[in-house]
Amino acid sequence: MAASSRTLEITVISAENLKLDRKPIKKNASVTVRTDTNSQFRTTEMETEGGSYPRWNEKLVLDMPTHSRSITVEVQCKTSYGVRTIGTASIPASDFVGGYVPEGYLHFLSYRLRDHMGERNGIINISVRMKVPEMYACSSSTTSSHSKMGFPAAGNNNSGGGVAIGVPVWYGAYQKNY
Amino acid sequence: MGGCFSDVRGGKDAVGGALPRPTEPNAKNDGAHNDAIEFFYREHGAYPLFTQLELSFSASKLLDLDVTSKSDPMVVVYLKKNDGKLEELGRTEVILNNLNPVWIQKVSVAYQFEMVQNLIFRVYDVDTQYHNVPVKTLNLRDQEFLGEGSCVLSEIVTKQNRSLTLTLKGKNGHGGLRNFGTLTVHAEETIASRSAVEIKFRCAHLDNKDLFSKSDPFLRISRTVETGGSIPICKTEVVDNNLNPTWKPLCLSMQQFGSKDTPLVIECFDFNSDGNHVLIGKLQKSVADLEKLFKEKSGVNFFIPSSRADHEKVLKGQLFVDQFCEKEQFSFVDYISSGFELNFMVAVDFTGSNGDPRKPESLHHIDPYGRLNSYQQAITEVGQVIQFYDADKSFPAWGFGGRTANGTVSHCFNLNGNASESEVVGVEGIMAAYANALRNVALSGPTLFGQVVNRAAEIAASSLSSNNNKYYVLLIITDGILTDLQETKDALVRASNLPLSILIVGVGNADFKQMEILDADNGQRLESSTGRIATRDIVQFVPMRDVQSGQISVVQGLLEELPGQFLSYMRSMDIKPLTFNAAAQASTA
Repeated sequence: MAASSRTLEITVISAENLKLDRKPIKKNASVTVRTDTNSQFRTTEMETEGGSYPRWNEKLVLDMPTHSRSITVEVQCKTSYGVRTIGTASIPASDFVGGYVPEGYLHFLSYRLRDHMGERNGIINISVRMKVPEMYACSSSTTSSHSKMGFPAAGNNNSGGGVAIGVPVWYGAYQKNY
Repeated sequence: MGGCFSDVRGGKDAVGGALPRPTEPNAKNDGAHNDAIEFFYREHGAYPLFTQLELSFSASKLLDLDVTSKSDPMVVVYLKKNDGKLEELGRTEVILNNLNPVWIQKVSVAYQFEMVQNLIFRVYDVDTQYHNVPVKTLNLRDQEFLGEGSCVLSEIVTKQNRSLTLTLKGKNGHGGLRNFGTLTVHAEETIASRSAVEIKFRCAHLDNKDLFSKSDPFLRISRTVETGGSIPICKTEVVDNNLNPTWKPLCLSMQQFGSKDTPLVIECFDFNSDGNHVLIGKLQKSVADLEKLFKEKSGVNFFIPSSRADHEKVLKGQLFVDQFCEKEQFSFVDYISSGFELNFMVAVDFTGSNGDPRKPESLHHIDPYGRLNSYQQAITEVGQVIQFYDADKSFPAWGFGGRTANGTVSHCFNLNGNASESEVVGVEGIMAAYANALRNVALSGPTLFGQVVNRAAEIAASSLSSNNNKYYVLLIITDGILTDLQETKDALVRASNLPLSILIVGVGNADFKQMEILDADNGQRLESSTGRIATRDIVQFVPMRDVQSGQISVVQGLLEELPGQFLSYMRSMDIKPLTFNAAAQASTA
């Protein structure tokens, strides 16, 4: 049975050293997360207390299509001139799916943000968890194993033939050369 | 470059009570007791020859180097090692506009009874922005030097009130005609504790101390010390223009407040950007009293000490506790004794830079009379620690940078020469495999850690499918110069959110600058070539020559950062010790 998309839980934790025009921002930063097919996006609330080191701790839930290769995280700031983009980071799906780590693992990840000129502009801290499809989930605890699936779990299936479990097509290639 | 403006926003930040980023371990200088080291010694029947201390600082009559305001001072503490090099131990926070500051942030130092520890204190005026910036990332070259003092740690500890006042001097000890002021250092033993409380304070009806607007209040909490006087433990952030403020929750550990019955002094000040904060009121309550205030939902009045010693004026302003929550923070030893396993892996450098093993100068030379070479010494010394903590004493052991029997250079080959199984048993197993590999593998190069780190990460990640009570530690023994620093950074970043730590042991006399970059103790997180940044610092570097010169024991060097790295992983993943069950959880609520 093919799953056309997987549910991603992304918690936008915080960002560091955000600047606009080389000056640290004062407030009103928000984060938008979107799939690479641009089919879905979610945005956090604006943060007003942390200045250029805002903390949101906000969970966003997205459906990521099976063949998606990455998600994009964009940090914006609402200024009196309108909403301006501070920087974006592209997160390859391989960073939170596949590899030797079991499905449903809570990945704490951080990325360098780059502005529209390609210059470095701060860091974004998030956590990502790919939800295990309901019928195969053993329990909802973070610590239980997910090895009791009806078909080979991520980790030892290179062929990918006909078994669609929401893992990107190029997964086999990732496994070999990191 | 004269500093003109102070960072007023930085001066309004909370200090000492903040909640850290999930994956950040408590900083090295938060006074956390290193119970991993103490556990090791105690189990061997010995008692550690050191005691953990917290240093607090205050200064008076500092130089004023800012043009339109006063200096914004910060203290940096260094340990002067035998070779004259300075190792930074920690920093205080930055205080706004104050030439007579009392700092809140403590610096932790291990007081070694049998060693002479030379400490150097440098005071800087911070001119760059520091609002919300981690203090350890401030670049000292951008700041202005205010003065330096030095002493031997035992001088402070042996004084009756455990405080020492030093006259500050210019760089290189020249006093000259300028008066740099004085710095007072106070030392206190830290208590190992796992309790913490999270408190949310609110005030009502505070007096207005500002002329054209309302007060900008903040709270400062201090603890009385047995030798008299009080030491500030934290302050809240500033709430602007508000006589009925609510502050963000403060998280205080028992190390900071002593015990639930220790009297704490809570002062409410009106913030002024020129540094002269006006006292609105104060009161004295213990943590147990604050818990009572929370339960009864009642307030307590502030008072102002009056010039007449016997009379205090009770004010209208009141303090309320809106939230009070006790938390338990398990220690490293709590996890280990509940059944969490540490699994060690070893990787040995087989690159040509070690020197031809047939020559006696080579780091890999096997001495016919049985004297251990640098690698064998490192394996033996490090081995006693890892054997203690690794229950099954079965270690995967690899070599890297050597040309194996089939003629190709491998950056991750099994040390025991076995094609499929990399494990060896016990320290003797590692030694035997090492000697065996020296006979069969030719030293080659280049020096790359990436593959062994990736292999260790694979093993750590795979273990997650079956359980989460294992933590892996990869020991890399190397002579130190990496050929491709970025490749190593990439592998480390990819491994940084896994239950894995990397301990790099440096043998020989090379310049280990690169290793210090990887160790990231200056707060600069590692960045991979794809733009990903390390989730946490998983590397620690120990140069064997520091161990051999007696400056630190191998146990201390290896175990210094490991408990913090282990705890940062467990806490961020919300994993508790195995014996902690639901019943216990309900009772602490």
